[in-house]
Amino acid sequence: MLAFALAVVVLAFAAASLGLSGKISGLPLFLLVYVVLMLAAHFAVRQLAPYADPLLLPLAAVLNGLGIVMIYRLQESGRNGNPGLQVTDLAASSTTMQVLWTAIGVLGLVAVLVLIREARVLQRYTYTLGALALLLLALPALIGSSINGAKVWITFGGFSVEPGEFARLALAVFFAGYLVTKRDALALAGRRILGIDLPRGRDLGPVLIAWAASIMILIFETDIGTSALFFGLFVAMLYVATQRTSWLLIGVLLFLGGTFITAQLFGHVMERFTVWLHPFSGSNPSNGSFQLIQGLYGMAFGGIFGTGLGQGQPYHTPLVQSDFIFTAFGEELGLVGGMALLLVFGLLVQRGLRAAIAVKDPFSKLLAAGLSFVLALQVFVIVGGVTRLIPLTGVTTPFLSQGGSSLVASWLLIALLIRISNSARQPAPQPIQDEGMTQVVRAA
Amino acid sequence: MNKAILRISLACLAMFVLLLININYVQAFEGSSLATKPLNARTFDEQFSYQRGSILANGDGTDVKIAYSKLADHQYHRVYPKGPEYAPITGFHTIFSNTGVEGAEDSFLAGNDPRLAVHNFTSLLTGKQKQGATVALTISPTAQNAAYRALQNDGGHQAAAVALDPKTGAILAMASVPTFNPNELTTFDGTKLNKVYNQLAHSKAQPLQNWAVTPNYPPGSSFKIVTSSAAFSRGLVASPATTVPAPQPLKLPNGNLLNNDGDETCFDGKPPIINAFALSCNTAFAKLGIRLTAPVLRDQAELFGVNKTFSIPFQVTPGSFPTPSGWTDPSFTALSAIGQFDDEMSPLQEALFSAAIANGGTLMYPYMVQQVIAPGLSVIQNATPKVFSQAVSAQVASNVKAMMLQVTQSSFGTAHATAGPQATGGITIYGKTGTAENGVNNSATNDAVFTCFVTGPKPIAIGVIVKGGGFGADAAAPIAVQIIKAYEARS
Repeated sequence: MLAFALAVVVLAFAAASLGLSGKISGLPLFLLVYVVLMLAAHFAVRQLAPYADPLLLPLAAVLNGLGIVMIYRLQESGRNGNPGLQVTDLAASSTTMQVLWTAIGVLGLVAVLVLIREARVLQRYTYTLGALALLLLALPALIGSSINGAKVWITFGGFSVEPGEFARLALAVFFAGYLVTKRDALALAGRRILGIDLPRGRDLGPVLIAWAASIMILIFETDIGTSALFFGLFVAMLYVATQRTSWLLIGVLLFLGGTFITAQLFGHVMERFTVWLHPFSGSNPSNGSFQLIQGLYGMAFGGIFGTGLGQGQPYHTPLVQSDFIFTAFGEELGLVGGMALLLVFGLLVQRGLRAAIAVKDPFSKLLAAGLSFVLALQVFVIVGGVTRLIPLTGVTTPFLSQGGSSLVASWLLIALLIRISNSARQPAPQPIQDEGMTQVVRAA
Repeated sequence: MNKAILRISLACLAMFVLLLININYVQAFEGSSLATKPLNARTFDEQFSYQRGSILANGDGTDVKIAYSKLADHQYHRVYPKGPEYAPITGFHTIFSNTGVEGAEDSFLAGNDPRLAVHNFTSLLTGKQKQGATVALTISPTAQNAAYRALQNDGGHQAAAVALDPKTGAILAMASVPTFNPNELTTFDGTKLNKVYNQLAHSKAQPLQNWAVTPNYPPGSSFKIVTSSAAFSRGLVASPATTVPAPQPLKLPNGNLLNNDGDETCFDGKPPIINAFALSCNTAFAKLGIRLTAPVLRDQAELFGVNKTFSIPFQVTPGSFPTPSGWTDPSFTALSAIGQFDDEMSPLQEALFSAAIANGGTLMYPYMVQQVIAPGLSVIQNATPKVFSQAVSAQVASNVKAMMLQVTQSSFGTAHATAGPQATGGITIYGKTGTAENGVNNSATNDAVFTCFVTGPKPIAIGVIVKGGGFGADAAAPIAVQIIKAYEARS
């Protein structure tokens, strides 16, 4: 499987260099490093989590690799005698940096597999990680720098790090730990009104705190996407833990209400909606919606089969290397390529959820479900955003987008899923023969 | 918890399905409408990256390229070999906009028409570059060249001529002066293009205007074709020999006096209509107009195509005969009947008047796109002549035809000298002159109008208008004669 994934990436690179310069250049160093990294990750997984789902790593590898190829293609556009315009905000060293971040991501993967032999040991650090998540979230608001209207970065030593990407993982662990202990109280106590089981007032507390926190992010960091991800993560995990639809309803209503109110209060949130609904009206094409419609033009230009890697004009779309990278794939690989990418993401999510179902320990179950869901939600928010399905909010495309934090965080997420799937698929230890008295206890 | 996880899985599945549906919508269905949206730099760059289809003039049986794209420096540049001569037909294709045939047939020329989809798909599979379709026009280079040269040598008037085949409606020539050179607009330099374009657009002579299809001129006496058609059709006049009153002057209902040209008497004041027509007596037809009433005149004119819009392939409204509600004053109707009121015609409309009479009263839709040929040489669209209307009955058409013959053949016919047998070298022309008075209190120089047709193996119907040219017979008829001579001499 991994060999297949690597072959896809190497061929994609060949196609891109053929499309760009008309000839296939030799295998560059960065691609070689990538291949070595993936093989290393493969052997690490084989050693440290031998029973892990064999699809998780190859799926992540193919996404990561295609992302590198696309960033290379965008970086080369208009440089080194290649046709097209330069993507001005993409440095000439972007591909190298992306491979470097891939290396850090793979190191992170190995570290997680070495340090965490069972996902449930994380349960011990529930509140530590909760506090860490809050700290990570609050950091950019306090000492962060605003880039492109959103205040989600902190910069040190020339590097920009998006702590929110890591906060998401920490929060998932915190929610899983918290909910495993409180799920009975949340699920069973309460009154039934109009056919809906309403939770007790005091149990509503954490939900309201999560809601308030996500609204805070919305206001102080002007980042609707991230706040939607946090809140979605929390509501989904709450639902899995309690199996009560009321929580789902309350959560969705709270989020919609909060968004509506902030949209009324803050111009930049409202503008997202205007751009979404009327991208072509008035002065919009040249202002707020320029980026969105350039992305759409790109995808429409690609049509069903795409222009071929290196032969489209993705450089017309601002920030095509990060938020809008999916539109670059849509343009150059066409509808077919875009659908394939979505299916790879879908498969990744499905493997994660399958691990969640198979694993017995409730904490791991909750964590795997939450992580898989937030991955799906992230893809939905960004791909839906750039294709005008929903209002555009800036979140990264997992594995594909240029940017270190997102890539490393995605690899950590995969590491956790690999670890959990390993536990789920591990053959049960031989039961002690007790004269047929073995009692089967089913985990809920 | 597994039940909830399954539900969450379904939610994830739903999200992915929504995304898949949406990208299908954007890339497969919305694609073409997005491609034409403003500021789409991709379409803009792309349209010069492959070969746009050529435009051919095929009316003489051989293909003459009047517009094609040539590869130079990785981009295709548009070339118009005959430049200004064909400018009213081809229009232009710039990085900003298209006009004329370039505009009307853009989807074929650019290769974006759905009918080319199969072809585009096979070239995609075989790795061939996309290419536009060729558009072949009914224009006869012989007639076109004669028309353009005749107009050019006319002394700088604004003038235009249209020739068409009365049997099919196929347009054979369409020339207009002053005109422009479309080659000056093919630059990729937007600033330079803007400068050249603005110069043309703001020029007082309005060279970008296609005067051949712009209803900008009173038809003058040529409208007597319509008035007599209505009079014959309504039975007011039985035959060309029927006498009609033609007093000099005619006292209009509002008390004003209407004179014949040069205040001359019209024979004995009660001539047969054929003589009144040949001599173009105003009072005879003004009186007929009053009896016919304005709505009848308008309805007859509309059967000849006035007030109607045609796609030839660009949209034109060649004639206008406004009848504001409450317009009842018969004095104005009298003026309309001799083409001197609010009605305005284009050379195309003048040609349509003659074409209907030449074709036994049946007016064909005018058109100029004969074929659209895909890059693989398969014909994807072939024009078939269509009937627009039965403008008059065959009997009425033959009556009017007899009268139009007298205009050139009778010694007193207005066009005897300029379109008679001596002038044409034996070709028989059926025609009607028009000399429309112009300006405030008719102070400006008259517009010269001539509409005519030739029957036989090479039938042709022509409309010519020379703004400020003076008498129709002197200024407009010779232009028509030159076109006819060239066209009939064509092998």
